[in-house]
Amino acid sequence: MDPYSAEGELINIHTHFYQSQYQQVIDFDTSSFSPENAIPARVLKLRARLALGQAEDVLAEVQGETIPDLEAIGALAEFNLGKTDSALKTIEKLAASAGDNVTVQVVGGTVLQAAGKSEEALALLSKHQGSLDAVALIVQIHLQQNRTDLALKEVTAARRWAQDSLLVNLAEAWVGARVGGEKYQQAFYVYEELAQGSSTFSVQSLIAQAVCEIHLGRLEEAQSALEQALQKDPTNAEGIANLVVLNSIAGKNNTEELLESLKKANPHHQLVLDLEEKSSLFDKAAAKYSAKA
Amino acid sequence: MQSSPGMLTKFESKSSRAKGIAFHPKRPWILVALHSSTIQLWDYRMGTLIDRFEEHDGPVRGVDFHKTQPLFVSGGDDYKIKVWSYQTRRCLFTLNGHLDYVRTVFFHHELPWILSASDDQTIRIWNWQNRSLICTMTGHNHYAMCAQFHPKEDLVVSASLDQSVRVWDISGLRKKHSAPTSMSYEDQIARANQNQTDMFGNTDAVVKFVLEGHDRGVNWVAFHPTMPLIVSAGDDRLVKLWRMSETKAWEVDTCRGHFQNASGCLFHPHQDLILSAGEDKTIRVWDLNKRTAVQSFKRENDRFWVIAAHPEINLFAAGHDNGVMVFKLERERPASAVHQNTLFYITKEKHVKSYDFQKDVESPTLLSLKKLGSPWVTPRTLSYNPAERSILVTTPNDGGSYELVNLPRDGSGAIEPSESKRGSGNSAIFVARNRFAVLNVANQTIDIKDLSNNTARSFKPPAGTTDIYFGGTGNLLIITPTTVYLYDIQQKKTTAELSINGVKYIVWSNDGLYAALLSKHNVTIVTKTLEQISTLHETIRIKSATWDDAGILLYSTLNHVKYALLNGDNGIVRTLDQTVYLVRVKGRNVYCLDRAAKPRILRIDPTEYRFKMALVKRNYEEMLHIIRTSSLVGQSIISYLQKKGYPEIALQFVQDPTTRFDLAIECGNLEVAVEMAKELDKPKFWTRLATEALSHGNHQIVEMCYQKLKQFDKLSFLYLTTGDHSKLARMAKIAEHRGDFTARFQNALYLGDVEDRIQMLKEIDLYPLAYTTAKSHGLEEECEAILEASGLTEEQLTMPALGKPLVPPKPVVSTFKSNWPTKASSQSYFESALLGQVEGLSLEDEPSAANGVDAEHAAKDEPAENLIAIAGEDDDDAAGWDMGDDDVPEIENDFVNVDSAEAGGAGSCEADAWARNSPLAVDHIAGGSFESAMQLLNRQVGAVEFGPLKPRFLEVYRSSKTFLPALANLPPLVNYVRRTIDETDLRKVLPIIPRDLEHLASNDLQKGYDSMKANKLEDGVKIFQGILHAILVNAVSSESEVSEAKKLLASAREYTIAMNIELARRNLGSADEVAQDPAKLKKSLELAAYFTIPKIEVPHRQIALLSAIKVAIKSKNYNSALGFANRIIANGGSSKIVENAKKTKAQCERNPTDSIEIEFDQFAEFEICAASHTPIYSGAPYEECAFDGSKYHSSYKGSVCRVCGVCEIGKHGSGLRLFS
Repeated sequence: MDPYSAEGELINIHTHFYQSQYQQVIDFDTSSFSPENAIPARVLKLRARLALGQAEDVLAEVQGETIPDLEAIGALAEFNLGKTDSALKTIEKLAASAGDNVTVQVVGGTVLQAAGKSEEALALLSKHQGSLDAVALIVQIHLQQNRTDLALKEVTAARRWAQDSLLVNLAEAWVGARVGGEKYQQAFYVYEELAQGSSTFSVQSLIAQAVCEIHLGRLEEAQSALEQALQKDPTNAEGIANLVVLNSIAGKNNTEELLESLKKANPHHQLVLDLEEKSSLFDKAAAKYSAKA
Repeated sequence: MQSSPGMLTKFESKSSRAKGIAFHPKRPWILVALHSSTIQLWDYRMGTLIDRFEEHDGPVRGVDFHKTQPLFVSGGDDYKIKVWSYQTRRCLFTLNGHLDYVRTVFFHHELPWILSASDDQTIRIWNWQNRSLICTMTGHNHYAMCAQFHPKEDLVVSASLDQSVRVWDISGLRKKHSAPTSMSYEDQIARANQNQTDMFGNTDAVVKFVLEGHDRGVNWVAFHPTMPLIVSAGDDRLVKLWRMSETKAWEVDTCRGHFQNASGCLFHPHQDLILSAGEDKTIRVWDLNKRTAVQSFKRENDRFWVIAAHPEINLFAAGHDNGVMVFKLERERPASAVHQNTLFYITKEKHVKSYDFQKDVESPTLLSLKKLGSPWVTPRTLSYNPAERSILVTTPNDGGSYELVNLPRDGSGAIEPSESKRGSGNSAIFVARNRFAVLNVANQTIDIKDLSNNTARSFKPPAGTTDIYFGGTGNLLIITPTTVYLYDIQQKKTTAELSINGVKYIVWSNDGLYAALLSKHNVTIVTKTLEQISTLHETIRIKSATWDDAGILLYSTLNHVKYALLNGDNGIVRTLDQTVYLVRVKGRNVYCLDRAAKPRILRIDPTEYRFKMALVKRNYEEMLHIIRTSSLVGQSIISYLQKKGYPEIALQFVQDPTTRFDLAIECGNLEVAVEMAKELDKPKFWTRLATEALSHGNHQIVEMCYQKLKQFDKLSFLYLTTGDHSKLARMAKIAEHRGDFTARFQNALYLGDVEDRIQMLKEIDLYPLAYTTAKSHGLEEECEAILEASGLTEEQLTMPALGKPLVPPKPVVSTFKSNWPTKASSQSYFESALLGQVEGLSLEDEPSAANGVDAEHAAKDEPAENLIAIAGEDDDDAAGWDMGDDDVPEIENDFVNVDSAEAGGAGSCEADAWARNSPLAVDHIAGGSFESAMQLLNRQVGAVEFGPLKPRFLEVYRSSKTFLPALANLPPLVNYVRRTIDETDLRKVLPIIPRDLEHLASNDLQKGYDSMKANKLEDGVKIFQGILHAILVNAVSSESEVSEAKKLLASAREYTIAMNIELARRNLGSADEVAQDPAKLKKSLELAAYFTIPKIEVPHRQIALLSAIKVAIKSKNYNSALGFANRIIANGGSSKIVENAKKTKAQCERNPTDSIEIEFDQFAEFEICAASHTPIYSGAPYEECAFDGSKYHSSYKGSVCRVCGVCEIGKHGSGLRLFS
């Protein structure tokens, strides 16, 4: 039986993971799982811990493991700790030796993409056989490459064989947020459903809901959603970043403080780096002009 | 009956009905078997659920921990007995055999046996090592409800609903199973078979006694841990005590009290007490010897089903309908008091003893307090009066009572006090040598009594007082649940108070200056006047505290001894395996009382907190001593020092080069930093070192870093700034070798080496530039040579006007020879102390940190200025040079081509599309294409000064993207916010623009008006300029909105001009200054008049006119004032202003002349120059700003517009585009 099917053992923990409910994943009681699901469950737990920033612990735990799944996790942990070269080396080795392992594909693809090697990531992921995890990652990579057309194709294909799966819904929402128009509303519904259910709630979903609301021009709703999210997790970098954007759009003047707290939460956040870069670009460009007198 | 004072609940859980309980013998764990089929494992100390075990079908009734192994056993209604490992968190195996519910399961204390009782009327013994049934005990003819091993002997006791209790002898079984292992296989088989045949003969386990006396079913039975006693509880609501000898057993007595079925009972492990629990929702405590009720505890709604005792600690647990509770019967904190070197304390036997700290000797019993209170309640507090050698003891018994007794000179056994004075009260303490205070909580009174127990005075404490403590001489500390009061007994009033919740104990420092207020989870340190100094929080319960002589507080939690400094810094000193109550610290010894009221000494290592204390007190000598004599290293101390701002001290402890480098940079110790950078030799470190060294002005290190980093340009510039021409020349050589023409050119420029420059320009075929260079330096020969080379004559050239040749300045001082002077400051006092350079360290010496900082500032400022000066010069030089290359490229149409679609699989992002889709500057900005946006603005409205637009640029840019969290460990997905929400065609989408026209008109403009009304003109100018900038960088959706935008623009312009005029007037000087200087006075009058010219809203114009009238009348310019008054009247509006104007008019008409002639003709047509604030009469030439339309005298052409601050005056562009 497919362990990820509705009756499978892994369905719940897997769902928690993709709903960004990482703590629930970690706390999930997997003691009664059958042995063949032990590794996938452990991989999910380790990935959840990585998502929560416990890279050092995870690395220590999988040190010396020879199962490809765990080696891949180790590489991701290394990558998160800034050991990019060694992480990439491991992944390249695994891609060659165990490229058909779905964990290697997904985790390896994540590492490669995060390291900016999108093509390699896609090449590795292309080996997957009906893994929604891989599909979701492919969609995200395409979106990060600004290839909305390919992402859309991937989602449409997945939708045909994996009807109403969470991952397909999420991937569709990602694409929707990029495509826009009516799709904004559809993406909003996906996140709203997650964020408003008490068992499916996660701060990330709430933030995503707010993002959709920003795109829909519903600034007040977005504001309250983001504030609620930040109340639950005051240092959530995405939450702060989007609140910066929202306040900026609304013409409020308090963005400086928020940017400061964003820098504290994640000094390497895209928004921070971007604004710094643009600020110096501005200075450089502005210096070319001066009045005649 | 309510909970009696002695019973203390420590933990409660909520769950379904709890049927079985077991304490872990060592860890603070309790297993709870639930009716819902779950087994829970709780940490009752932390109150957390550690684990849940769910494999039984139906209710679980019995659980037991193994004494030594990580195992436990459970039995339930599924007839199964399961053995679990709590380490691997799984069921190891299941013992099947019982044919009905299993009621209880217990491990044997030494043999690998499990004893179970079942509704199938049998009691069975299992071997859990080979997982087999080894004995079945039959005999009960109804459900067997409970069966337990004897803790020492080979006996089993069982209880059954057949109303009997049976004692079984299992010595046969032991003999059989501890037989020599050399037995052959056949023998074993034979023996096993023999066992089977024994089914009914049953020599393994024989009934020894049958105890009959209950006249309903018996639910529970237990052996006494040491005495030959048995206790049982039954549905006849009775708890029965039985005694047995070798040969017989008999009923001793019955405890009557439960008014419903008694479900469980046990003997207190240490005291002569019986505990029982029943369905009447009570737990009852009985005196074993008298069989009388001692205490009773009732729950409101929950029937009790089971009760268990911790094997070691004084803890019990009871399971009821809605969970379990862990409780203890009495406080275990021994009452004690310290005086000088003696500790007085009361033992569990209620003996008063003393203990000498210096000699480490316990005295014999000084006094016995057996008669104080009830026998099972130990005294709560002890207060000692050294003058009289008497003690005050309080006990919670009888609603609280105290006793004042004199201690004999030396103890000689358990003597009853010869004479004692007693009374009722909850707290009693000595407040002076002949006075003591007694608090009566029920009456809320405090009595001050003399030693003959007569009340000297009496007063009402603050409402809700729960306890009192000594508060310094003549003072009491009064505790209420939310506040602590300092009460002066003489003045009968509160002198200080502090809001603090739940204070339970107060501990004074040895010098009496500070007190620690302990609550359950907080320690608050206060001064003797109750001023809070610091507070700290512990998650584990705080038990006690005591002060070190140096003013460090040591406190104990359930499992740690910790220290706290006055500033609130704290840390762990050591762990505790059992709870203790600290009474004193002396050197490395912590003296404490344990729960059995035995004095104990704990060894501790005080180094860490002494070191921290020394640091706080800046006692460097002590620190030095500690560093030298103890092995104080480790990450924690380093990070502590770093956190506290002592990186230079931390430096002394570190070996790791990276950390050393970090610390050295942090404290500016360049020497160490260089050393470490050399060792590490990575670009990252050199870069940081270079930055740090530059700020120190240590250019020699900077030079080294740049060399290491191969940063040639920076090196060249450094040599230029230090005036090191020889090295600069070398740099030029290097550049030549590297074939880097830009660098070579730059170096030649720095060196003033014209020939080399010309040579190089020729080399790269830039003859025109070479020629110009030569020409401007007057090198005619060279010019001709160039002309010749390019085959041209001078006549064929059109030369631009040449400026003066560029000559780099000559260095005045050869600063490269040595570093810029800095005051030697990097060595802190502490460092020099470590290096042995300071003698006679003393406490008073402050480190020279303050000086150091100043010196560093001075050093920093100097080079910085130099740098700026040089940089400035450099710019000027560049200005002299032909800047043709930097000219703004010409663009044919409004569309700026933005590069799209990089090669490879990646597509182009939407932001790029915006710039393609729109000719509006704002859309380019949103797409991040600032350069093209600036080009557009420059061409449209002649924008040249972009600085003021930066906030707006960033605001627009910042609003363009959202961040959608997607898969873990990857950056969020970036999406682009559109103002065309319904559009999905990437060729038509456009970005959102913050602060659109509507927002500006309804928010910013109103704010601007407000600032005008509130006379906050500086703010007003900023707001209106902000509006101008926001309009300049904006987009609208229709032509009609364009005209609205123009209206808003005009309004913002007029206000900015008006406010600037008025501000200029105010800046002329104070009223006196202006009055005395005729020129200024004239200017002032003129500006006041011009303030009324800009076309601002009528109410605001009235304000301007009023102000002009005021200024005019003051200088007796009645004619002007008359003109202003007429205009106010003409404008109409608020009647009050008009009335005043009419009055002024009447007043001025009497004498319509101006005493000071000003340039203001109220009848002439003119506008105000926004720069000079003088009139531009109609017909006169003027220039204007292409963006905001403000007007200027022609002389201002080419300078930056004073109103928007962005555009060049007189530069006409294609006009601002807001709509495409």
